[in-house]
Amino acid sequence: MNTSTVEIIILIIHFLFFIYACTAIASYIILAMISSKETIEYMKKNSFVNYKEILSSTISPSITIIAPAYNESLNIIENVRSLLSSHYVNYDVVIVNDGSKDDSLEKMIVAYDLVKVDFLINQQIPTKPIRAGVFKSTNPAFEKLTVVDKVNGGKADALNMGLNISKSDYVACIDVDCLLLENSLQKMIKPFLEVTDKTVIATGGVIRIANSCIIKDGKLLDVNFPKKLIEKAQILEYIRAFLLGRMAWSRLNGLLVISGAFGLFNKKVAIEVGGYDTNTVGEDMELIVRMRRYMEETKQKYKVAYIPDPLCWTEAPDNYKIFISQRNRWTRGTIETLRMHRKVAFNPKYKSLGLLSYPYWLLYERLAPVIEVIGIIYFIILAALNEVRWDYALAFIILAYLFAVLFSIVAIFSEELTYHQYKKKGTGFKLIMISLLEPFVLHPFILYAAIRGNIDYYFNKKKKWGEMTRKGMATS
Amino acid sequence: MYSYQHFIDYFKNAPAIIQVVWVMIVLFMVIIIILIIYLKLLRSRLRKNEKIVAQYQNEYESNLITYLYSGNEEEEISAEQQLIVEKLKSCVPDKFKRRVVVSTLLRLRNEISGEMAESIQKLYFQTGLINYALSSLKSKKWYVVAKGIRELAQFHVKEVNDQIVIHVNNPNKEIRKEVQLYLVTLFHFEGLKFLDVLQTQLSEWDQIQLLEVLQRFDEQEIPNINPWLKSKNDSVVIFAIKLAKIYNQFEAKDTLLDLLEHRHKKIRVEAIQVLSHLQVYEAKEVLKNKFNELSLEEQIAFFKLLENVFESSDESFLQEHIQHKNFEIKVSALKIFKLLNIEKFHSFKRLLSAPKDAEIIEFIENN
Amino acid sequence: MSDAKKIVLAEDNSTLSLLLKFRLEKEGYKLLIAADGKEAIELIEQHDPELILTDIMMPFISGLEVISHVRNKLNKQTPIIVFSAAGQEEMVLKAFNLGANDFMGKPFSPNELVIRVKRLLR
Repeated sequence: MNTSTVEIIILIIHFLFFIYACTAIASYIILAMISSKETIEYMKKNSFVNYKEILSSTISPSITIIAPAYNESLNIIENVRSLLSSHYVNYDVVIVNDGSKDDSLEKMIVAYDLVKVDFLINQQIPTKPIRAGVFKSTNPAFEKLTVVDKVNGGKADALNMGLNISKSDYVACIDVDCLLLENSLQKMIKPFLEVTDKTVIATGGVIRIANSCIIKDGKLLDVNFPKKLIEKAQILEYIRAFLLGRMAWSRLNGLLVISGAFGLFNKKVAIEVGGYDTNTVGEDMELIVRMRRYMEETKQKYKVAYIPDPLCWTEAPDNYKIFISQRNRWTRGTIETLRMHRKVAFNPKYKSLGLLSYPYWLLYERLAPVIEVIGIIYFIILAALNEVRWDYALAFIILAYLFAVLFSIVAIFSEELTYHQYKKKGTGFKLIMISLLEPFVLHPFILYAAIRGNIDYYFNKKKKWGEMTRKGMATS
Repeated sequence: MYSYQHFIDYFKNAPAIIQVVWVMIVLFMVIIIILIIYLKLLRSRLRKNEKIVAQYQNEYESNLITYLYSGNEEEEISAEQQLIVEKLKSCVPDKFKRRVVVSTLLRLRNEISGEMAESIQKLYFQTGLINYALSSLKSKKWYVVAKGIRELAQFHVKEVNDQIVIHVNNPNKEIRKEVQLYLVTLFHFEGLKFLDVLQTQLSEWDQIQLLEVLQRFDEQEIPNINPWLKSKNDSVVIFAIKLAKIYNQFEAKDTLLDLLEHRHKKIRVEAIQVLSHLQVYEAKEVLKNKFNELSLEEQIAFFKLLENVFESSDESFLQEHIQHKNFEIKVSALKIFKLLNIEKFHSFKRLLSAPKDAEIIEFIENN
Repeated sequence: MSDAKKIVLAEDNSTLSLLLKFRLEKEGYKLLIAADGKEAIELIEQHDPELILTDIMMPFISGLEVISHVRNKLNKQTPIIVFSAAGQEEMVLKAFNLGANDFMGKPFSPNELVIRVKRLLR
């Protein structure tokens, strides 16, 4: 190999990096434009729907909320209470106590007057067996509640138990510590019932961050902007991802992920595909991909819908250690899902799933951190060899930074023009400040966690799930 | 001025791509600064609007209440009322104020009935608000039309029926939905006539909303649903089946039985369910005879029907299916057996000894 | 007017509250208005009214919880009339089980409400 070949190879690599960066930026811009179009339409369509006066009757389809709980004793009573206060009429709540080692079950038995009942389970998806039994309340005020105590099998296994137990047409799978607004089920069920020419297999909701918000008796009383940088930065990140990213993918019918914290599923399809996969840490993404695949393979028209309203509030990690372990897990979940379904990639048989959604996720979500790190290492090598034109590099870095900031600000605008959740005076300034700081206070940690996720996935297969220790919900 | 000149020279001599980058940096910075300022303005405007809306609402609210309580028997409209009408009239040309006035009137209109509700409607006419709703029907924007129709429905303006019916088959889904709600809200079952001419599909959501509106009325006299059960529009058939179920339309029995042969599976299943609800014994014989040709969903629905209308003559049929591989059918069959012939039911314990089956039998035995 | 009978009205629709306040005060009652269940409970504890009117669906604390608080926590037999929207039959049943005395389905006529209030406060 002579010098000129090496030079050509290096040139090609440079060119590829450049193309990658340009397409990534272009995709952000395109997605933002699509999402603003979709958002405007959504707002117009729903501006005069009075959710209070509709769907309170029993003609509406049945929904089961399935909430797996593992060692949640600290807040379980409050959390269950919040789940029981939905305004939708035809729904019930199944709490799956996934082999908790604490006194969650005992606490629920006392608080909700539970007694053990005979329950015939149609075991359509295999799960770990029942432990203490199935419980229902003797108090008519809690008749919607069922508690199942089973042997520990992980979140996916617990959700599968819920799928087996539910007698409803639709299931809402949620994290037990999520706070749902009272009209969330009405809003989430709407897409399933509106579409006449295809089957809606799932609807995803937005996750909002409840840190520092005032919550009492399972109800959100006041929305506050938290103090810690990491919490503020995550709020910005969520607004960006949900209002600018997912909204656009929903328009393209290309959503690959419905947040595990809150999603509504067509139970029949979810069971037909075999429920949640218990062997992955990314069971929420994996299920959607598998359901989409199934619909494509059986040639049925389908849609994965998405509701941008702030309906589900949850506590986000408030320290870097937990944050990193959460993102590490997300990364492994993505890698696993994409690998399991690699058959779909670039396969025209799967239409937009194979040609658009999957490749996009592979290139710009799965590989982005890897490519970024390679770029950084390459840059360091060049710097060491004194091959960097610092003035040019600086110009590009400034440009990239400004683009990131601009994009965040656009996201803030879409939040202000739609839901305007952070109403308090002064929060606008804080939002701007955090969009300037976020590339320094959050992005490096996301990158680090993603790389750790890759390393753990390939070299540390036995790694158990990072358990997310949760801080108690702020109560007043 | 040295550094400025230096920068110009540097810029001129840089490669094109670097020039582009610098231009974009400046551009982005300008945009960001503009957006930050605009965000500040936007947020304070939103905050201010909220306050103004609350203030207007308070004001209109007390105007409305005064209006409602200052009427008297002798005059068509009292002097005090006239004053309020004039005041509101001067507000409505302003789009922002109009919105608040309308929402204030509606907040009360939706919650009360009787004389006062009529007074509110009168006020709606007197202030000229109705003209704005009517002119919105001619708008080119779908959401303006839809909103206008909704408002007219909420204020029970029956007189403009003709102008609204023409939109029954409007290509826009939202407009159609509002038209349907208008017709049913104001004309109750009579309003359902649009089903005769509807060319598009009625979504499940639309159906539920219509049924909810209908359920608010006390009248149980429902029109003949047979023509809708025979409609070429499948969604109309499904809607009619729901009507049959909610209003116990036993008279439609024969047409419902015909639907068991419908080409659309969903309709066949729903027909079985409603026949089960109405406890139509004829359906049982029809379905029993062609049980093996049915789809699984129909079979399951049929067993649910059987739970309602079983007779001792069904015993042999049931016995054939206690080994059915579908869980729900097996449970149904065993449940009926327990009621029909308890001894035979006990004898199944030996026959069905697999752990899963034993579990089912034990459960049915105890419950 | 110190001997006027006190009524707590819990209703999140302020226009309706105002209307009913005028109407009932004309009949000689003293009205205390709460915009949600939380305020209602505070007012009830503070003023010990002769009658409670409450909507079932309210933000934060529902009418059902108000009833249950009055009957079970405060152990009071104050008459309670609930308002419910159409399609909430199930809720109304629950309200009666919890100890409500009467209910009015929305939309209702204010005049009819006055008649029922008078009957309960006779």
